[in-house]
Amino acid sequence: MDKESDFYQIYEVFSRRGKKAPMQHQFSLLAPNEEMALMMAQENFMRREEVIDVWVVKQNNVRKMSSEERQQWTKRLDNKDYRTTKGYGYLRKKWKEKEQGMLDEKEILSWKEVGKK
Amino acid sequence: MYNYVEDGDSKTTAYVEEDQEKYEQFMARIEAGEKIEADDWMPTEYRQALIKLISMHGISEIMGALPEKEWTPKAPTLRRKLGIMAKVQDEMGHGQLLLRVAEDLMKPYGKTRENLMEDLLNGDLKFHNVFHMPTKTWADAGMVGWLVDGAAIMSQTNMLDASYGPYQRALQRICQEEVFHAQHGEAIIMALAEGTDYQREILQESLNRWWPALLMFFGPSSAATTGSSKQDIMIKYRVRKSTNEELRQAFLDKYLPRVFSLGLTVPDETVHYDEKEGKWIYQQPDWNEFKQIIRNKGPRSKERLRLREIAYENNRWVRQALVPETIGS
Amino acid sequence: MTVVENAEQAKKDPSYLKALTELVYQLADDDFIISFRGAEWLGLAPHIEEDVAFSSITQNTMGHAVMFYELLEELGEGNADVLAHERTLEQRRNGIYLEKRNGEGAYHEEPYYDWALAVVRNYFYETFKKIKMEAISTSSYKPLANVASKALMEQTYHLAHWKMWMNQLQHATEDARERINSRIEEAWSEFEDVLELGSYANDMLKHQLISSEDYLKEAWLKEVGVNIANPPESPLGKKYGSGRNGVHTADLKQALQTFAEVYNSDKKAVW
Repeated sequence: MDKESDFYQIYEVFSRRGKKAPMQHQFSLLAPNEEMALMMAQENFMRREEVIDVWVVKQNNVRKMSSEERQQWTKRLDNKDYRTTKGYGYLRKKWKEKEQGMLDEKEILSWKEVGKK
Repeated sequence: MYNYVEDGDSKTTAYVEEDQEKYEQFMARIEAGEKIEADDWMPTEYRQALIKLISMHGISEIMGALPEKEWTPKAPTLRRKLGIMAKVQDEMGHGQLLLRVAEDLMKPYGKTRENLMEDLLNGDLKFHNVFHMPTKTWADAGMVGWLVDGAAIMSQTNMLDASYGPYQRALQRICQEEVFHAQHGEAIIMALAEGTDYQREILQESLNRWWPALLMFFGPSSAATTGSSKQDIMIKYRVRKSTNEELRQAFLDKYLPRVFSLGLTVPDETVHYDEKEGKWIYQQPDWNEFKQIIRNKGPRSKERLRLREIAYENNRWVRQALVPETIGS
Repeated sequence: MTVVENAEQAKKDPSYLKALTELVYQLADDDFIISFRGAEWLGLAPHIEEDVAFSSITQNTMGHAVMFYELLEELGEGNADVLAHERTLEQRRNGIYLEKRNGEGAYHEEPYYDWALAVVRNYFYETFKKIKMEAISTSSYKPLANVASKALMEQTYHLAHWKMWMNQLQHATEDARERINSRIEEAWSEFEDVLELGSYANDMLKHQLISSEDYLKEAWLKEVGVNIANPPESPLGKKYGSGRNGVHTADLKQALQTFAEVYNSDKKAVW
């Protein structure tokens, strides 16, 4: 006879709020198998919010960072301006001298509407 | 809904020698406002206090569903039937969130939800004093939603910055839903307060009965009253911020003016706000009775535990039938 | 098909109105009584996660009952709360199997509720509800067709949920299989009136409110035949009579006393 406590398997639950939203971790629940875990997930954690997709995954199958890994691998030096727009801010002044506007994030992301005028 | 309750005779934890360096790092982390996660190193005292707090909190939600549940199928209109169902469902849901948090903390001891249920049924795991009380009329369904949940919200919001990450995140979800609970309770109460003579009568009678339990809700103001108190440990480890008495005062501050504005009274003629001391003066409830109640000797303790026991035992075949190996998943 | 757009139009034809109100009472009362039984289960399910999921289904289903009672309100039958709480046993139109108690004991005292009954009953009912709602979604009475389409939006999940329980328990231990099978046998001798439309069935068909009883019954038998391992060989029965004609058991009396207890305590009150 299998142990009754084996009924309680831990599943992690993820969901998406909308088409543009990323998958997001919600919480975890106990269920004997993934079919049931999926069937329980939405009503347990997303009763009051929009949901367009749900994933469940057995907790054992998630390779998580350990406590040490979290503390050691997530630290970075603050010397990476070259990777971000922060390191190129001086361009704004340069372009201004040439009577041009800066092609910053706001400007570039607005190009999805380009040609619609 | 919740508060930490103690009966004064809890088993004492064996003194555990901690690694001093790790302990200092740990304290530095929580003092810097960092969150502790389930698999982080933590002092045994912290882990055990959290297990006790959160398992009691979780199981109180599950037991707390029962008094209101008595009135769920009986709710007087279709809308109230739906509202109270959603509310009791949330209580079960809060139990689910909290027990998951407690279960992860208990992992090193090899304990699971099954053990928690068994601890509840054999009396080792206590549940909150208010859920040992009877719900005699529909007004009690309103009273639980309004004032009992009001008190619960007061103590839960006090822990919204708790140092233990999983608990803090569960509380965030719970407190958001509690806003609905509070308004659900207020709606029932408002209809009764503005209703017929009969409705006003059951409302006042309900408040009279619940008053001592509401004062007891926050626990004794110091260990001297009941023999032990974990409130200091909880504050030291940045799980909660305020003492039992501070929370009780804040509750009276928020709710007594509302109680009076509905033309209701409380069964204590001495209740008043002392301007000079800046606090509410009230007659102490009977703390001996409190101790009896949370030792499962309250008016409805036996019956409520019996309900849980039947539900647990009676459905055992379902859990046995679906253990993973059996269905070959 | 002549589409009847609203209650005012429906009221102009007494034969139409009668068949329509009978049908809507059946729909409302079925959803109301099964969600009442669901409300009694709250807090007592096999595990907490299921309790939460089950309660959502119960709330949705009671929400559907409310929509049907509101249709009756528009048709001049009276206030939805009055219809739900005040009608006598004889006025109720739900199928008798749906009023059956959840097991031994009461929900607040010694509730020896049977999960096998919950699974079989809800699976059978939701399977039928899907067929019935689909049939009604093209009903000649527009407001009813609209409500049926709305109900179907949520109901798909209900059916999937109970089908999962049915499949898993049927293919689990010997004990589970036996418990489920014995509840299936029992349902087989009691479920038939749920599938029927009562004495106005012909008028309902004539007015194109819903498909024929025979079609509904066949569709249900076919669907459950796919999912139950050993369907009973005996014909379907309605052991206690037909709830569609106002025949009911003591179990509905218990339900009525419970769900109308507070309502009846002060009828002048606004709750």
